Parts: sequence; structure tokens; C-alpha cells
Amino acid sequence: MKPREHPKQSAHTKPLDLHAQSLVICLGPGGVGKTTISAALAVRAAMLGCAVDVMTVDPAPRLLDALGLAPDSSEPVEVQLDGIRVPRRGGASKRGRLRALRLDPKRTFDSIVARYAQSDAARDAILENRIYRSLSGALAGVADYMAMEKLLELSANPATDLLVLDTPPATEAIDFLDAPRRLLELLNSRAAVLLGAPGGLFRRQLRMVDVAARAVLAAFDRVTGLNLLSDVRSFVRSFDGMYEGFSARAARAQEKLRGQDTAIVIVTTAESSRIAQAREFIVALEHAGLRVAAIVVNRVLAELPDAAELSSAPIAPSLKRKLKRNLADYAALKARQEISLDALRESLPAGAALMFAPDLGREPRTIADLAEIGRSLRAG
Amino acid sequence: MTLPRVLFVTGKGGTGKSTVAAALAIALSRRRPTTLADLDRRRSAAALVGASAENSTAVRVTDSLDVVALTPRAELEAFIERIVPIRAISRRMLRSRTFGYVTAALPGLEAFLLLERLRIMGGDAALKDRYLVIDAPASGSAVELLSVSSGVKGIAPAGTLNRLADSIGSFLGDATRFGAIITMTPEDLAVREALETAATIRERLGIVTVAAMMNCVPDLLFDTSELAATSPLGGHARLAVRRNAAHEQAALVMAQFADAGLPTISLPMMFTPAIGPGELEKLGRVLDARLLDR
Repeated sequence: MKPREHPKQSAHTKPLDLHAQSLVICLGPGGVGKTTISAALAVRAAMLGCAVDVMTVDPAPRLLDALGLAPDSSEPVEVQLDGIRVPRRGGASKRGRLRALRLDPKRTFDSIVARYAQSDAARDAILENRIYRSLSGALAGVADYMAMEKLLELSANPATDLLVLDTPPATEAIDFLDAPRRLLELLNSRAAVLLGAPGGLFRRQLRMVDVAARAVLAAFDRVTGLNLLSDVRSFVRSFDGMYEGFSARAARAQEKLRGQDTAIVIVTTAESSRIAQAREFIVALEHAGLRVAAIVVNRVLAELPDAAELSSAPIAPSLKRKLKRNLADYAALKARQEISLDALRESLPAGAALMFAPDLGREPRTIADLAEIGRSLRAG
Repeated sequence: MTLPRVLFVTGKGGTGKSTVAAALAIALSRRRPTTLADLDRRRSAAALVGASAENSTAVRVTDSLDVVALTPRAELEAFIERIVPIRAISRRMLRSRTFGYVTAALPGLEAFLLLERLRIMGGDAALKDRYLVIDAPASGSAVELLSVSSGVKGIAPAGTLNRLADSIGSFLGDATRFGAIITMTPEDLAVREALETAATIRERLGIVTVAAMMNCVPDLLFDTSELAATSPLGGHARLAVRRNAAHEQAALVMAQFADAGLPTISLPMMFTPAIGPGELEKLGRVLDARLLDR
């Protein structure tokens, strides 16, 4: 393929400086290898001598093995960096180290409720509530919020230089970063007034739409026999008094996200649909006033071998033909990647680094694989 | 074999779910009128067959292929408009933030309404002798979506909703009406997720997996002696090994799936700079031969 001009490229060739960060958040669509890239960045930082914690969301079993994590490790576990050079830093006794943990959204949510509930009865009322139980289990958004909570907890540890955070797959980048605010708004909104108000008492203060919303819920309850209205009402009510605690946490999370030493990293692959999603993420983040520090394109095909090598190679003509065809096939795939990558380069935000992680041609299974990916991250 | 009326295509992100759904819809539409329902927010399956589908309105692509885009939100809106017949009020209510929070606190309501809509479309397909191909969300969210009706049954012990949940449950569990197609690539993670998805939907919801699709399988180009002969060639040798390894990994997994009683179809890797009508046509022909004619 003809080499192209990338006028913007020179501005972005500086890779992400992991030393300068205290928090790296990896965001991206599902199926792009976010967890792998998070772990590879963490291993890389540990190799550079940082004390690193990496929090993963849904790691593949092999990745769990590589990190030495049990399936339910929700507390940090020291990762054995066997055979990987980890320098001593600044001549001192401190060495790079890596700890890993898995996010357990349900357990984290429960512990926050326990922390902020004003009484044991209030705590139990929430934990037993049907809405809470479905909300804290599967519902999208809760995992986001909980990752944010755990982030604050982990980043409070002064012995850790860098926290690398893997996030749940999102359809919208902002879902994750916006989670604390959304939960707060739910608790502090007119919904609370609407649902908490005893019948009739505040009716005059409610707008027509609120009355209608309540009417719909009531109708829905009648039709369904669910009695959800009272559940929602008691859910919102039982959070009464916890608002302060949540509010303070959310404000701190927002502050942390916008910190100078926080890097938001978008992970994608070179597939056109994923690149399109990554571009949407970037736009949404910029819209929210958040800066994207780097974009990591995972599984970028390596440079292809030279076709000219084949003509002089001492092999059978039939094999030569096959090798030529194989080369042409992968060249087509590489061309497909290049088309999408060009589109990405066009829309790269100012100051963001573009980095490529190699397609190893196999799935990462060991710390050494992760180290290889981390080492081979290159400017795109 | 007789295919169910409704084919629910899911799989791990990045395994070509939308491409397979689009190719399948095209192949089926050659035999019988077909609707492709795009549940993906990005509408990639619809775009692949050349339609910019609007919410809930079917767009005709060919004489025998329609495309429709469905979202949980649109189903909720339709539901609210049925309950609150005064348009001005229902519209304002849907726009109000308060209502947004309330619906957010009613977990699964939107998804439940979406499933009910699929059930109705499935009934319609049976009546009109059509196929319905669904480009569903990626497997994690798809399992959540499908499980919503059994969840509702758990919390709504009686009433209309319970009856609706019942009929959705029997629709999903009826192999003549509903079946899943699960896409994967020759990679551990994708394969594991496909197996898990098939097991979960079968055990929890009684849903039959019509076929697993092993996507992106390169044809076998080199035999063992040829591979050995290429080994001094550095980059060329690595590329040859890579191609063969992907092929062999796919073959291995397909044998495992066959042992597990899960029919699996292999789809060729498209070594082309783009996936367009030509590639869909090729995939469609493979599907026609291996799924529809078997």
C-alpha cells in the first residue's frame, strides 16, 4: 500500500508517559481486549519501577491465571513477575511491583450501603429491597459506579504509584464516568420527592408530568400486580440520610477524573465498527470536558514480510505460489485495518497519543505475554 | 432441517455477529420473505444490507427483505402511550427527567417490553410464513435480555405481567418458533463465551441453539512438509504458521462442539479490504449450503 501523509501524526508520536500518571482508566467497546491492554499497561509500568495496582472487571480465565488471580479475588493480590526485569527505582530499596484484583460490583455496593446507612435497620431495609437487589446485581451502570468507588478506595493508598483501571464494556464512554452523578441525581431528584411523598400531601407542588408519572406507575402496578411503586418509594426513602456520603464520594471521583495525573485511555481494535465507536467515545468525552490522553489500538497486524524475498527463496514453485497468496491475503486484511486507522488519525483529539498494540497471533496467557504487549506498544 | 421462525443471532463482541445476521437474512430472503430486526444501537447489520432503519418502522430492502430497528426505549414509549392516551401528557412525561429516573429504577421493564415485541413479531412471522432474523446485543447483554421474562415471573406472582411473562417464556422455549445462533472466532475467549451462552440459555430458559458459527476461519493452505520448508523464510514462515494455526484451532473447537452436541458451521475468513455486498453474498452462500440445506 502506498505510504500516506499523516500531517497530524508528528504531534502524537510521544507515547503515554506512565511514570507521570497516578491513574489510568481504560475505556472502550466490548471485545477489543480492554482487560488485556489494562494488564499490559500495568505490567509495563511495574517494569518501569512503579508500584502498580490493576483492577480488572471480567478477565478471561487465562488472564486470571497469568495474573495469579482466583476467580473471586476482590482484594489486591501480589502478581509474581517471574522472569521479568523489574528495576530498583532511584537506587533505593523500592522496586516495581504489581498487584491485581477483580471488581465485584455487588459486594462493593453492599459495603458502601453498610458504610453510609444511618442504622442497621436502614441498611437491612436497603439490602432486602427488591429494587436494590435487581439494581445492584445485573443492571448496567451499577458496575460502573462501583468501579469508581473502588477506584477512590484504592487510590487513597499512598504506597501505590499508579492505579490502572479496566472498565465494564460500555456502549457509551460517558456511562462509566458519569455513573456517580447519575446515581446521585436519582437519589436527590424530584423522583425522590415524587415517590417519597405521602399521597396528596405535596400534590400541589408537583408538576403535571410528575402526577402523570405516578399515575402511570400506579396503573402499571394495577395491571401487573407488581406493587413496584411502593418498592421504589421505600428504596428511595431508605437512602434518606445517605445522600451526604454519596455526594462527597461522587465529588471526589469527579475531581480525580479531571486530575492532571489521570489519563483516560480509549482501547479499540482496527475494525471499522470499533473505530467508529471509539470516535464516538472521544467526542462524548470531549463534550463532557474530559481529555483523552491516549488511544490504544489493539491487535494491529505487524508489518508484512517483503514479497521480494520469495522470488529468490530456494523452495518449490507451488509453495512459492501459496506463500504469495498467503501474503496477498494478509495484505488485504492489513489494508482493511489501514483504512480504519486513517479514519482514526483524522479525528484524533489534540494532545492525545495514538498507540498500537501488536497482534501476537495468539492469546496472551502469561505475564511474559503481557510484558511483550506492554513493551511493544508503539506510537501509531 | 426446519429452522425456527425467529433466529436470534448473538456472540461475543468482535466475532462478526452483525455480519452473520446480515448474511443470514440475505440467504433466507432468497427462500422466503424475511425481516432483519436490528437491536444493536449502532445498526451495523441494517447498514450492511444497505438500509438506514428507523425506529420500529420496517424499511424494504428487496422484495423479500425488510429491515426494522428496535430499541428498548421505543418500546417503553409505545407502552406509555398506550397507558396515557393523551399524547401531550405522555410526550411531556417521557421527556421529564423524573420519569427517566423512575424507569431506571424499574429494572428490566424496557427489556421486557422489547421481548414482548419480539414475541408478537414471531407470531406474525409464523402467520405470514416469514423468517425473522434478529441482530441481538453481544452475548452478555443478550442473556440478560432473554432472562428478563423469567425474572419478571419471579417478582410478579400474578396478573397481566405474569401472564405475558408466561407466554414469552413458552415462545423462547419453543424450538419451532425461536432459536439462537451464536457467533465466535477461533479464539479461546470467544469460544468459551459461546459455550457458556449456549449452556446458560438452554438451562435457564430452554432455548435451543440452532447452530454455533465459527467465523473467520482461513482455509488450510499449507501441509506439514510445506510448513517445514518455509521455516527459513522468517516473516513468511510466521504468516504461514499463523494461518494454519487458526484453521487448526477452528477444527479442534468444532470437533469439541460436535461432541457436546452443538451443531457448528464454519464460515470462511474474508481476506478482503472491506466487508461489502460481495462478501455477504459469499457468506450467504455458505450459510445456505451448510445451514439451510442440511
